[in-house]
Order: sequence, then structure tokens, then C-alpha cells
Amino acid sequence: MHELSMANSMVEAILDTAKKNDAIKINEAVFEVGELTMLNPEQLKFMMDVLREGTIFEDAEIIINMIPVVIECESCGFKGETKMDDNMDHLMSVAKCPECDNTRVHIIQGQECNIKTIKIEREDEDA
Amino acid sequence: MHNVASIEIEQDIIQANDKLAYGNRQKFDENNVFAVDLVGAVGSGKTSLLETLIDEMDDDIGVIAGDILSKFDAKRIEEKNVPVKGLNTGKECHLDAHLIEHAIPEVPLEDISILFIENVGNLICPADFNLGAHVRTVIISVTEGDDTAEKHPMIFKGADMAIVNKVDLAEAVGADADKMVNDIKTINPDIPVVKCSLKTGEGVQEIIDLYKKFQNQ
Repeated sequence: MHELSMANSMVEAILDTAKKNDAIKINEAVFEVGELTMLNPEQLKFMMDVLREGTIFEDAEIIINMIPVVIECESCGFKGETKMDDNMDHLMSVAKCPECDNTRVHIIQGQECNIKTIKIEREDEDA
Repeated sequence: MHNVASIEIEQDIIQANDKLAYGNRQKFDENNVFAVDLVGAVGSGKTSLLETLIDEMDDDIGVIAGDILSKFDAKRIEEKNVPVKGLNTGKECHLDAHLIEHAIPEVPLEDISILFIENVGNLICPADFNLGAHVRTVIISVTEGDDTAEKHPMIFKGADMAIVNKVDLAEAVGADADKMVNDIKTINPDIPVVKCSLKTGEGVQEIIDLYKKFQNQ
């Protein structure tokens, strides 16, 4: 259940930032999750729902943007996105250059789990 | 009407782990300890490999034995009379740099030259979590099926060395050990892969030689 610990870190970081910014409510939170992380966005969302209950984060819209895999080929220099197979057979996408079929490739994007932004509400200063 | 604001956080949870891992690495280096993160499937032979290495290697070995709940693995290592710290993750499926950071003070780094960190039996979740070890070894065995490597590319992509264990049983379970080696080489062409049987001793010396080589790098 490693979505739970990741979700926990995410919710903590968000509540922490919200508090530092005097938020009374969080309206939206945007995440970026790499296609190659061993994280399932649906499970992540579910775990966050459990963890944020009763907090000012409770009703916020959660947006998880999946970040595509980008590889760089040592042989031909190809640098770009590589398709993930829906059948979860992602062996080739991380192991083989789509241009020259060489297997000496480096993953340069797709392994991140990033909290990007939150939208918050504060008490009006004049109030 | 409330005042609405958008706040940039830009915090990567995985990078936060990497930062802690870097701190762990510094502690190992300060004490001249070579650290190995040993990752493998359930029942692939992680603890048995450690038992063998403790018997066969000349180095002073210490072990952090990760397990979800039990202390079975730590107890097995204890019987070899080497320093061992059992580490329970609670319900977590992998060790992370934070858990290791807390275990380090309980390992006598000054008395050992190699620290093996036995990860939780799992080929999926540990892939994202750097512990700060110098080398990550992945061990799988033929009894898990010879498609195990190709089904778990990420763990091999981030590994420094791989072991295919229980090759003496390959025929009995209808598995092709060479296919497993080739799959690993396709996923990560640069890592050494050792075919091994802890039962017959095949490949054990090769594993020891590799650790010696890594240590001197």
C-alpha cells in the first residue's frame, strides 16, 4: 500500500503550505505523477480522500496530471516521449529506443511525484 | 467574499526521499562502509543469500533486515553472529530512506565494512525509493516464473547488479534461466547478471567478486 504513504506525505505538505498561507479553505490541488512511478492515480485519490476528511482540504478538487515518459538514447541521440502500452507491457518503452531499437536508453522524465499548486481561500483582509 | 490565491508548491515527494538517501550515503562514506540495497521478490532467496555471504566473505558484515511485521529474517541473521537490526515497516511495502536514517544509529558502522540492507520482498514498490546504498542488487529466482524480469522492468532499470537464483530448479519448474538473464540484459544492458544456486554454490564466488569490484570502485 505505498499509495497510502505517498498520499499521506502529499496531504501533509498541502495542509502545511495552506496553513503557512493563512488559508481557511483549499479549493484545488494539482499534482503531477510520472507514468513510471509505481503509483496508481485512482488509488492515490482514494487515499487522499480518506486522509483529508475533516480538514480544510476536504472539498478541494484534486487534479492529477500524468507525466509521460521521456527517454534519451545513448546510441542515436533520440530524445522524446515514448508510448506506454495499455497492456502494462511497458518493458519496451523503458528499454528500447523507438527510433533505432537500441536498448541503451536513459529515462529522463516520468518518475516524478510532484505537488504543483494549490488554490486557497483566505479571510478578506478588510473583514 | 474571500480572497482567493494560487500557491506554487513544486514539491516532489520522491526527491524528498532522495535527499534523505543522500544523507544516509554520507554516513556510510564517513564510516567507510559499503552499503548494498538487496531487493527481491518474496521467497527469492534474499535472506539465504545473506547467510551465504556472511559465511563466505572475509568482510565484516552488518545487516538491516526489513520486513513488514515479523522479525524472522533478522533472527536468521542473528544466528550468524553479525550485527543485525530488524526493521519493521508496519504495513509499508518497501523501505525508504527515512526508515534507514532511523535504523543507522542502531548499526555499529565503525565495526563493519559492508552493510546489507534487506528490503521488503517486493519487486514493484522499492523501485521508486533510493535508500542511499552504493549498490542495488535485485535477486529473483526461477521458481517465480521466467517472465518475472520482463514483468518488472523498473526495478532492473535502477539496479546495479542482478542475480537469478535457484537455477538448479529451473528444469523442475519448467523455467528458462537464460531467458531471465537475457530479459534483464535487455532492460539494463550495463549491469552484471549472475546465475546462481545457493543450494549447489553455483555463482556464489562470482557474486562475491562483483561486490569486491564495486567496493574498490
